[in-house]
Amino acid sequence: MGYFLIRRIFWAIFLFFVATIVTYLIFFVIPSDPAKLIAGRNANAQDVARVARFYHLNIPVWQQYWIFLWNLIHKGSLGTSYITRQSVRWMIGQDAPVTASLVFGGAVFWLSLSIPIGILSALRPRSLMDRASMTFVLIGISAHPVWIGLILSFAIGYKLHLTPIAGYCNFFTGNAGASCSGPIQWAYHMILPWIVFMILFAALYVRLIRANVMETMSEDYVRTARAKGASERRVMIQHVLRNSMLPIVTILGMDIGLALGGAIFTEQIFNLPGLGRQIIQSYSVFDLPVIAGVICFATMAVIVFNFIVDVAYAFLDPRIRLT
Amino acid sequence: MRKKHVLSLLLLTTGVALLVAATTVAAAGSATSRPGTVASTKAHKGGVLRIDQSSTDFDTVDPGLAYVTNDWAMLYTTQMLLVNFPEKNGQAGSELYPEAATSFPTVSNSGLTYTFHIRPGLKFSDGSPVTAAAYQRAWERNLSPKMGSPYGVNDQFQKVIAGGEAFLAGKTQHISGITAKGLTLTFHLTHPNPTFVSYLSMQWFGAVKPNMPYTTTGENVYPSAGPYYIASRDPGKTLVLKRNPYYKGNRPANPDEIVFTSNTNQDQSLLETKAGQTDMDMSQVPPTAAATLGTPNAPGGQFHVGPTACVIYALLNTARAPTNSLAVRKALNWGIDRPALLRLLGKYAGQRTDQILVPGIPGYKPYKIYAWNGANATKAKQIGGSALTNAPALNVIHSTSPAGVSGAQQMEFNLKQMGLKYNDVPTPGTVYYNTIETKGTSYNIARAGWCADYFDPFDYINVLLDGRSIQANNNTDMSYLNAPALNKQMDAAAALSGKARAEAYASLDLTVMKDYAPWVPYEIESARFYTSKRVGNWIYSTYFGEPDFNALTVG
Repeated sequence: MGYFLIRRIFWAIFLFFVATIVTYLIFFVIPSDPAKLIAGRNANAQDVARVARFYHLNIPVWQQYWIFLWNLIHKGSLGTSYITRQSVRWMIGQDAPVTASLVFGGAVFWLSLSIPIGILSALRPRSLMDRASMTFVLIGISAHPVWIGLILSFAIGYKLHLTPIAGYCNFFTGNAGASCSGPIQWAYHMILPWIVFMILFAALYVRLIRANVMETMSEDYVRTARAKGASERRVMIQHVLRNSMLPIVTILGMDIGLALGGAIFTEQIFNLPGLGRQIIQSYSVFDLPVIAGVICFATMAVIVFNFIVDVAYAFLDPRIRLT
Repeated sequence: MRKKHVLSLLLLTTGVALLVAATTVAAAGSATSRPGTVASTKAHKGGVLRIDQSSTDFDTVDPGLAYVTNDWAMLYTTQMLLVNFPEKNGQAGSELYPEAATSFPTVSNSGLTYTFHIRPGLKFSDGSPVTAAAYQRAWERNLSPKMGSPYGVNDQFQKVIAGGEAFLAGKTQHISGITAKGLTLTFHLTHPNPTFVSYLSMQWFGAVKPNMPYTTTGENVYPSAGPYYIASRDPGKTLVLKRNPYYKGNRPANPDEIVFTSNTNQDQSLLETKAGQTDMDMSQVPPTAAATLGTPNAPGGQFHVGPTACVIYALLNTARAPTNSLAVRKALNWGIDRPALLRLLGKYAGQRTDQILVPGIPGYKPYKIYAWNGANATKAKQIGGSALTNAPALNVIHSTSPAGVSGAQQMEFNLKQMGLKYNDVPTPGTVYYNTIETKGTSYNIARAGWCADYFDPFDYINVLLDGRSIQANNNTDMSYLNAPALNKQMDAAAALSGKARAEAYASLDLTVMKDYAPWVPYEIESARFYTSKRVGNWIYSTYFGEPDFNALTVG
């Protein structure tokens, strides 16, 4: 197990470096000069050079990357935004809780809906429930989150006045600039975003769970358990669900990791000041440090969640530790 | 089998319970006063004005670094300038008055020394007095190498004030050309400059505490001397302005608080405004919604449309064939469909124009010398003659944004009507301006726009069309027009002041378009806002393209 963990940790570090290098290279090949953009209108060559020196843009890209890496490792710094001049780490620290609220809350919603529906559909294939869930799946997969979000906020927020149309409230109170805060207001503002976020994922998970449960139910060990006289409850919990949920755990870890990098559409529609909206804004003004920072954070999130899944998997399934 | 059902139903129940819980939270949230909903109040003065800012935030709120129009529109409420624009609608709002100064400056006979006297009794929001040193510090923060602000340098202010260049180079502690003694502030210029007083209306030069630090990251919260001060800022999210308790001036300070929420979604902001959950979106209404919001500027209405100081135009590259031919450039001014280009931007997007200057700028005299009611291909062919028939293909460069693409498509259709060939050159927004601002660029037609930094015709005509400013990169003369006779006329106009200056620029405006035609100006941009029912006292600033937030009332 120790060797397995060490191998996984080294692999995670390697992946992180590769992701940051690729990010830097992508922005290096885009034919744009950030110093010129920052210097603005009417800047002459000296002005652009002054800006380039100020932001270390006058040195080769590999040196820029080295400075970035050095600051990250030694100071935990992700640099400073070209546009707002704020610390990127601070900006991510502000945005990440909003995205996390959306992703984890959404995950609770989609799992709470998809697990029972998926299991029921598997137990009664081609039943009314199964067909209804298939319809739900088709709607969830076909309808774009932007459309769903706009329709829900118009119908539920604007017409029925049941929820806010958009906006975000901090979970914790005390932010001087916030117009609202506290757990109730936080949840009240997050209901529609959670539902939108849930619809797409729940649709996918229902099908995944249904297929896994059906496949597991036809396994020999399930038949053996029944033959040995185990109760249906025991068969389902101990043999079917435990095994059929293993792939779900893997996918869940990856989905949460990816979504933490920015649930772009949902954040845009509901004015949630999270990482997805941040990266869109930063891209529109070519704010490279912020873009690189968010990508680093997303990479870290995917790596960490994959690592957690790998470790959990290794505990759940001894065969994995041995490979 | 029944138990399997129970198991699954248990899980299903959990899911349903969660949804029920969510609905309960919704009810609870709704019952404890909807957070976004603004409580109604009868008072005209007071209340909280809530403003969304879609798809953007203030770049920075430090007056030494801020440059974008939304930054400045907000800073207008917090800053006390030596000279400022009053909170008045129309032309009256574009006329400078001495704000912190007791009067306009006394100018030495040589035109090199400007002396201001600061009104006594002015205070910052922390109660400390405003003295001449506050304005000296503002200039030094704008030009200090420790701030790394590119903008004052781009406007070449270091060359305007004596000692500016040495200070920018870090050779001196202070700008030697600015003297602050008590309430007397003196500027020594390097050469006479009739535009100097207009420069001082820029938000860079408002009073700051003389000990306000030099910082590369910019200050978010600091004392200010205008009607409001910044009470808190959460970059990317919110900014809260509160009334300056020590403000004794005549400018309005109607709402108790002004709360800006940034990076909102424009469509959702409009819905929130209609529902009374916010008061307006300073990023305007979605273009497609403008036609559905009623009659603009109706008395007591919620839909407001006003002109901006921004002119939108098709640049014609005078350094590249075939647009190096005056006949071709004039023909394009007849052949491009101005109303069609405006229609692409939604209803009330702007006014047609075929001139450089915009209403409100001294020297603006409306004229119509090219096609106003649509493309006139026949006239264009007649004017263009053989230069048009023998013209090589034109490169139409445009950004890949929806507005960039649709504008280019319209122009390309008009080129086809004129019998011209073209190459469509889509370019990502991040490199679009880099491309057309580089000398030797291969474009023939490109879309661009310009808004005034300060309310003076110099900021349009000299800044955008003086060929002597052309450099390798980052050009503002993006049509690459360099006509010695015209440059001479610009110098002569820039040296004038008052009525003579206005008349000289009015004449230049006409001369540029009649004799050189480096652009196809087609729109004076309008700003379109929708406000909640409780917003009143709409006073709009053409300069900022925004209402004067401090003058608005809620309730």
